[in-house]
Amino acid sequence: MKLKALIQHYSRQFGTLLGLVGLILIMWILSPHFLTIPNFLNIAQQTSINAIIAVGLTFVIITAGIDLSVGSILAFSGVVLASVLNAGAPMGLAMATGIGVGLVCGLVNGVLIAFGKLPPFIATLGMMSIARGGALLYTQGRPISGFGLNFRTLATGELFHIPIPVILMFFIYLIAHFVLTHTKLGRYTYAIGGNEEAAHLSGINVRAYKAAIYGICGMLSGLASIILTARLNSAQPIAGFMYELDAIAATVIGGTSLMGGEGRIVGTLIGALIMGVLRNGLNLLGVSSFLQQAIIGSVIIIAVLIDTTLKRKR
Amino acid sequence: MDVLKRLMVIMTVMILAIIGLVLSCQRSESSKQNKVVVALVMKTMNNPFFIDMQKGAEDAAEKLNVELIVQAAEREVDVEKQMQIIENLIQRKVSAICVTPSGSREIVPAIVKANRAKIPVLVVDTRVDQNTLDELGGTIATFIGSDNVEGGRIAGKFIVERLQETGKIVILEGIPGHETGDARLRGFHEIIDQYPGIELIASQTANWERDQGFNVFQNILQSHPEVEALFACNDMMALGAVEANSISGRNKVLLVIGFDAVEDGRDAIRSGKMTGSVAQHPYVMGYEAVIRASEVINGQILDEYIPVKIEMITQENVDNQ
Repeated sequence: MKLKALIQHYSRQFGTLLGLVGLILIMWILSPHFLTIPNFLNIAQQTSINAIIAVGLTFVIITAGIDLSVGSILAFSGVVLASVLNAGAPMGLAMATGIGVGLVCGLVNGVLIAFGKLPPFIATLGMMSIARGGALLYTQGRPISGFGLNFRTLATGELFHIPIPVILMFFIYLIAHFVLTHTKLGRYTYAIGGNEEAAHLSGINVRAYKAAIYGICGMLSGLASIILTARLNSAQPIAGFMYELDAIAATVIGGTSLMGGEGRIVGTLIGALIMGVLRNGLNLLGVSSFLQQAIIGSVIIIAVLIDTTLKRKR
Repeated sequence: MDVLKRLMVIMTVMILAIIGLVLSCQRSESSKQNKVVVALVMKTMNNPFFIDMQKGAEDAAEKLNVELIVQAAEREVDVEKQMQIIENLIQRKVSAICVTPSGSREIVPAIVKANRAKIPVLVVDTRVDQNTLDELGGTIATFIGSDNVEGGRIAGKFIVERLQETGKIVILEGIPGHETGDARLRGFHEIIDQYPGIELIASQTANWERDQGFNVFQNILQSHPEVEALFACNDMMALGAVEANSISGRNKVLLVIGFDAVEDGRDAIRSGKMTGSVAQHPYVMGYEAVIRASEVINGQILDEYIPVKIEMITQENVDNQ
């Protein structure tokens, strides 16, 4: 009976997992190059950036919010990080600066939303432009590139044959899972999304927690920018364009409801992996890029359709 | 467990739908396991320039009877996605990869990965940054493309000649940091900077796009209605600027030179709205890319630069080709 309870608890995520497994089976049947360990590591590595951004979005979306600025924040953090690095600062300091820029941008979002009472859509739409403009101004539109081997190793290096970005991704998912399920911050995140008014009346400092959650989201974009910058050996002010849509998609495919109050971090990881497997598999099969877009779009719609259909049944 | 059952049913339907979609559009690849596979990774697939390139590559692939995979990122500026495509093609074990880099430096780590997998890389249209290539230890089989610096010079000479060495000009730049646009700009400057009579009154980016070309040029016209000639680093921006000029009610003749001579650009030249455009030949680039790729696969060593011709298209020669 314990298994049954577990399945019911994660029923939505279980469905997503079935989807992922099904997808893997299909790709395995269609392409002889798909089911290999190097290709799986390849997929995990390609998924890592989107997956890390999507963690932040999962928190935000559980509170019934949205963050459209993650892609721009990623670019801004990246160029600041790169310039600090190229100025000769130690790697740790440069990375901290990049994450710090993300945190500050995220906190600004949070304060505008929690204390300024702006709708999240509007506040983060504004930040999307501000951070992008900031990145372009900061660099005069030019990419900053050419880093030392140590920094590039963050993207190319491996520990026990597993790429470092993948290890980092799993580490962040472990922490995020723990935070959401075992801490006050996690419980309050659900409470705010479930019913903000009730959360407020029961004594939760809703505004402070909301501001913090957007801060976390921005910070994770900053973190993702480290991987992206190391991977390309360059920080571009136009990087991360529309990445918010991929991250929102991963979150939503993973079963987090845009209405707030529900969602699981495991689901987001599976959602991000579904997108990664789809892209990879369709590339392997040589499917046209146009069709790829349409297929990915269909998967998002189908995933949410399942969600709403199930809810009506309950 | 009713919920779960329902879920399974829906998932199965979804999976079947995807199988159907993929199978109906792609022939099974297992039948041609041993065939040579050439991949062409472009910046985008929805720009006339790259559509021509794809056509050239397809014709060459048909002629040589090799399998061709053409892919591009959803968004032209997204080098990271382009890198993902290359990584995936490496897993696919294609025989050669031709790439038009979305970022001259950013694509280098992907090239290095292909090198490590012993898959030859041919760079098409946009050069990669040689310093980055050396630094990361990457190698390419060849570069196939037009010399954009020479194209910029051609445009510069044409404008200087038409303005009889005196006049006020404007430049619309591409996305800063894109080697293609920067090279065109360099070549153009090489010529016009020699003539003190030529006055550059504005040089701004319109990010390669038509609507931005319209907006930026409209703004420039507000402050500098006396402009006599415009050089846009691609036709899209030039076409946007032409529209902005035509609704401005200005009656002064404006010389407009674009770049790429895309179909819309040629139409505008025929109807006299645009003066000229520096033509590259993307069809030839795509065609050459596949031909050369198969030569590399057969063990031939290529020249490090395979030039594709570049020329000025005006009303006189627009219908010659």
